Amino acid sequence: MSPSDAGIQNIDRLIHEPSRLTIMMHLYVVESADFQFLQNQTGMTPGNLSSHLRKLEDAGYVEVTKEFLDRTPHTALKLTRKGREAFKEYRRNVKQFIDKLPE
Amino acid sequence: MTKQNTLREIEKKAYMSYHQDGLIDIVIGVYALSFGLGIAMDRIWGFSFGAIMPAILISIVLPIWIHAKRKITMPRIGFVKFGARGANKLFALLLGLSVAGLGFALAFGFFMATGQNGRPVWIEMLFQYGMIWIGLGASVIGSLFAYTMGLKRLHGYGLLTLALFVSGYFLSIPFEYFVLAIGSVIIASGAALLVRFIRKYPLPKGAQGNVAQ
Repeated sequence: MSPSDAGIQNIDRLIHEPSRLTIMMHLYVVESADFQFLQNQTGMTPGNLSSHLRKLEDAGYVEVTKEFLDRTPHTALKLTRKGREAFKEYRRNVKQFIDKLPE
Repeated sequence: MTKQNTLREIEKKAYMSYHQDGLIDIVIGVYALSFGLGIAMDRIWGFSFGAIMPAILISIVLPIWIHAKRKITMPRIGFVKFGARGANKLFALLLGLSVAGLGFALAFGFFMATGQNGRPVWIEMLFQYGMIWIGLGASVIGSLFAYTMGLKRLHGYGLLTLALFVSGYFLSIPFEYFVLAIGSVIIASGAALLVRFIRKYPLPKGAQGNVAQ
């Protein structure tokens, strides 16, 4: 197995999916955001966003909290510590893989 | 592939979307307008309104701004909490400006109080070209806030202030008229941004002016 083959095996496939990668990137740069903000920023449909968020939540990468803001129900989304570490690891692995690719 | 600059772009886009409602512009404009009104009232009634008008109006306007953010902005684009890095940068800027302002005031007062053989040259220049120095100071402060907050239009407001104050110096127009003009322009700009924002982001179905899920 070549070094590049080994590198690509380490890439987290859950995060690597383009829509989920987009979600992770947007949650990485903020402390928390609600569903509507995330939908506005990513341009995803509600159903699509919900589906990917569920997968990330099941993996323990995203924490979903139902709370009240001005007496209105509100869903806050944030990366868990595991999610942040996984995203940092993903970035490192992708960078290593890209760096080892021949010119 | 994720890159540091892509993450920065995403963060910047998220931040900018939250501040494109024009509300901060309206607050800045009201502050400038209140300052100008205070100076104008000083001339008319001889009472130092200039010092207290901004404080009175800002104490009314800031809660309105917070309320407007919750009722207008958040229902349209959602709710987000940014990290502490931006708030820390802003705090550092405000602290730096406060220290610089205090240092300048102390130096100014010291030289004014101890100048037995006439005032130093730099103080004479301050008095002679006061309008220009104020305009320059406002432009620099505007640019610092623009850089810290990532709101490029604040550069424009700073340059506008400089241009008006320099013009005022050469045209010998009273100071408060410029401050009133600047405040009015910034408020108008903020109002235009707010209208554009409301049209661009209509309320989602089911939202009634509150934060939607």
